[in-house]
Amino acid sequence: MSHPDPLDPLRRVLAVHASGAPEEPTLECLDDDTLAALAEGSLGVAARAAALGHVASCPRCRSIVASVARALADPGVAREVASPGGAGRPRFYQIALPAAAAAVLLLLAWPRHTDEGGSPPHRSPPGATAVPLLRSPVGVVAQAETLRWTSVAGADRYRATLFDSHGRVLFDTQLAETLAALPDSVVLDPGRPYLWKVEARTGWQRWSASGLVEFSIAGGPPR
Amino acid sequence: MAQLQQAGPEAAWDLFLDRYRRLIFAAIRHYAQDYDDVMDVFARVCETLRADDLGKLRAYAAQPDHRARCSTWLVTVVRHLTVDWFRHRDGRRHVSAIAEQWPPLRRRIFEHVFIHHHSHVAAYEMIRAENAPTLSFGEFLSELRAAYRAVTDGKRGHVLRELWPAPPPDAEPEPAATSPGDVAERSQLVEQALGSLDAEDRTAVELYILDELPGALVAHIVGLPNAKAVYNRVYRALAVLRQRLEQAGVRLEDL
Repeated sequence: MSHPDPLDPLRRVLAVHASGAPEEPTLECLDDDTLAALAEGSLGVAARAAALGHVASCPRCRSIVASVARALADPGVAREVASPGGAGRPRFYQIALPAAAAAVLLLLAWPRHTDEGGSPPHRSPPGATAVPLLRSPVGVVAQAETLRWTSVAGADRYRATLFDSHGRVLFDTQLAETLAALPDSVVLDPGRPYLWKVEARTGWQRWSASGLVEFSIAGGPPR
Repeated sequence: MAQLQQAGPEAAWDLFLDRYRRLIFAAIRHYAQDYDDVMDVFARVCETLRADDLGKLRAYAAQPDHRARCSTWLVTVVRHLTVDWFRHRDGRRHVSAIAEQWPPLRRRIFEHVFIHHHSHVAAYEMIRAENAPTLSFGEFLSELRAAYRAVTDGKRGHVLRELWPAPPPDAEPEPAATSPGDVAERSQLVEQALGSLDAEDRTAVELYILDELPGALVAHIVGLPNAKAVYNRVYRALAVLRQRLEQAGVRLEDL
């Protein structure tokens, strides 16, 4: 037999009658430092009382505090908050995070392919269409003078990008071939990790991307 | 952070990203699951933090004292940028295109609640005043739920609850009040009853019930020792609200 929650009437009333959260802050709204401190519970008694005095009547600040508190309770976030940039990460992070940083700079450096209305470009969902497979360099290699990948059916253009481990774009090019020669200006240091990826244009504003692949030149210091 | 003030922009950025990129990613991934979304938001975060020679970071570092840990402040900043990014992407043009196929009433509700961010009651009042004088609150809620279902269809992640007001409960009964005056008046009564609580109690009630935050987190925020103390506070506050409303001649069940 189920018992109704005595809070149900109040929950219903609040959900229906509650004010909508304003998007824009007012002059009285708390700054990010205070919102963060309230969410992590680090404010002193007096400061907390003052902050709650505002939060109680401000749906915007209350929703932000709730949101940040929820994020801080997320195990993935909590781990990083406790030890930002901590050592001893699994290898996945050593590859995936520099790769992500690299992808960021890729996004920043290249013009966004948007239509006149500003809509985001179509992106092929992973696995829905063929993607370029990166053939070389992959892993530890003796040298890397060219980037090679497989062709994609229907692709008329490829976009290849090389990143260093901090996500800086070292080289990028667009071409119709499945091979790109690295210019002499791109100097790869032995032992350092590099990442690269290729996108294939398979239609109007439709690009099919490979995963990011890491490689390094043999002969450098042990990583 | 102190190193940021001494280093040049490039070196400072490298230092910052080296230390905090995992945290930034973790915070973004808390709100968004889609890989492309995560990468796009990360790009937006980096772009914003790098702007004006790391102006935002330097301004933070220059503050004489900080109330929160730097990493928690950063999670807050990333949260804002993530929500802004989703609002921009899923903004007026995008969702308006979805709403074009809807019945006129649902479209009006959509415009008030999802575009103009009016409360549900305010949206109801305005729609009735504009062109639907016979619209009952129950009919309004039914269309409101349909709009929520359509807008959130296929979306995932915690960002959903950041973008719009909480949807009405599914089991919403037909309220006794059907005129705009009744609804507005009762909404005002609820607001007055909530306002009669002290700030700590009201915040605890709203965080626990409206934001559905776990008791332990509410305790952390309002400075109570544990979740049990929050439950006690909230139930006591509920009793106070009931009393206040009954004094005004309204039972919670009637609202």
